[in-house]
Amino acid sequence: MLKLMRLEMQKFKMGRYIRGAFIASFVIFALLCFLALAEKSEGTVAFPTYADAFMIIDTMVRGTFIVFAATLIARIVIGEYKNKTITLLFMYPVNRRKIIVSKLVIVVLFTFAAIVYTDIMVSCAFYLFDRFANVVPEKLSSGIVSETAISMGMNALAASFMGLIPLFFGMRKLSVSTTIVSSLGVVLLVCSGTNEFSLNSIIAIPISLAALGIVIAYLAIRKVEHADVAA
Amino acid sequence: MTTVLRTRQLTKTYQGKDVVRNVNMNVRAGEIYGFLGPNGAGKTTVMRMIANLVKPTAGEIELFGQRLTSGSYDVLGRMGAIIEYPVFYDKLTAAGNLKLHCEYMGYHDKNAIDESLELVGLRNVENKMVKDFSLGMKQRLGIARAIVTKPELLILDEPINGLDPMGIKEFRDIFKALSREYGITILISSHILGEIELVADRIGVINNGMLLEEVSMEDVREKNKSYIELKTHDCAKAAYVIEHELRLSNFRVIGNESIRIYDLSKEQQDITRTLIHHDVAIESIGKKSSTLEEYFLGVMKGAEFSA
Repeated sequence: MLKLMRLEMQKFKMGRYIRGAFIASFVIFALLCFLALAEKSEGTVAFPTYADAFMIIDTMVRGTFIVFAATLIARIVIGEYKNKTITLLFMYPVNRRKIIVSKLVIVVLFTFAAIVYTDIMVSCAFYLFDRFANVVPEKLSSGIVSETAISMGMNALAASFMGLIPLFFGMRKLSVSTTIVSSLGVVLLVCSGTNEFSLNSIIAIPISLAALGIVIAYLAIRKVEHADVAA
Repeated sequence: MTTVLRTRQLTKTYQGKDVVRNVNMNVRAGEIYGFLGPNGAGKTTVMRMIANLVKPTAGEIELFGQRLTSGSYDVLGRMGAIIEYPVFYDKLTAAGNLKLHCEYMGYHDKNAIDESLELVGLRNVENKMVKDFSLGMKQRLGIARAIVTKPELLILDEPINGLDPMGIKEFRDIFKALSREYGITILISSHILGEIELVADRIGVINNGMLLEEVSMEDVREKNKSYIELKTHDCAKAAYVIEHELRLSNFRVIGNESIRIYDLSKEQQDITRTLIHHDVAIESIGKKSSTLEEYFLGVMKGAEFSA
């Protein structure tokens, strides 16, 4: 299984995605600073508390990497069907299910790691930024940090499985654009809202969406062994 | 001789239509089996089923003595295949594609990649990305990939498409060498009959999803002996001369103007001389041998009449 994952990463040059994730984290950080400074220059406050700031960070990060997950799915799963290279893979003396599972594990792990890493980096960077620019009136306490860490962790977990939902739409049409558009739908559902409220804060919603992602992955894996590979 | 590949009543139905119907095919160890049939006859579908890409609706496939099921993965490691046109990871190099293939196949001979690239004449472009390859080069690389792991059974679906005449000859020699020197069993399909004729030991003819005949090339040649074809306006008289003066009985009058003499015990010039001597005007006379093409068309026609 690890070998299969390594081969997949080799094949699709995962380095590019890691670079992309770094760029995304910089963009998010820059956007955040711009927002805070712009509000400050008008004499208002963008983030009254650190909890607000972290929530915005978390939402932006999750939104970004759910779409990232979709591009990854489009390339390493849908792309193989589209380019017919799946016929090669399925002629190898390797269990078909394992092949698909290893691909999906890469997607989930990458999304999770990217969200957690970017959350931490952007939060820390924002904290440092605040030390100099004083954009958040509140002082950071260890209570806020641990509370945020837990919620970010849980959200990251839910988001990584949610990231599999586009697989369903993408596989039906074998289309890259459908995959990515459907991920935008997921993002709209869980990452939009006012400062105080988003659908993601109703705990049942991220949990059930994550469950849906798992079910979709299961369905994709279940049939693959008996299915004909289309000509 | 052991049978490497056997199908029993193999059938595949798509949307209520039998694309492949009750095919019983036998490929013996070490032979080159030519798989013939017009476009859409079901060749590729049969080959896809053998490669476990498409699952049979009914019937079974036996590979190396084992029944092929959805969960048969081990036998796939003993085969190499090109099905339809070869696909690659375009953004990897030629050598990169082969390396990946070897990893998945669990084959770890470092020299094998260089050797197979050498064999197909792609040695100088091994570090070029496949997306920059021409169709002929891809076809060569596909063959390199199919043989790199030294499989016991090679499945080649139209492997010479896109090759130039030099390439076709080159690959004919490669296939023969693989079969003779390494004992690799080859199942090769093509609609270019002349090519199959030159490489195959045995052929199977498929049409409309049914295997019409399975026969050795030796038998084909035997059944399709050469003959002398004679064209004349006076067939009746010519036939009389052939039968009574030349004392040849194995000949056939075809239509009003031509006679085929299968008995080759008399020289062509003797026949000509005798006929002229008896005042039979000859328009043309020549020795002919019927080819696999004629045989193939004959089998196809026979099937049409009986269908």
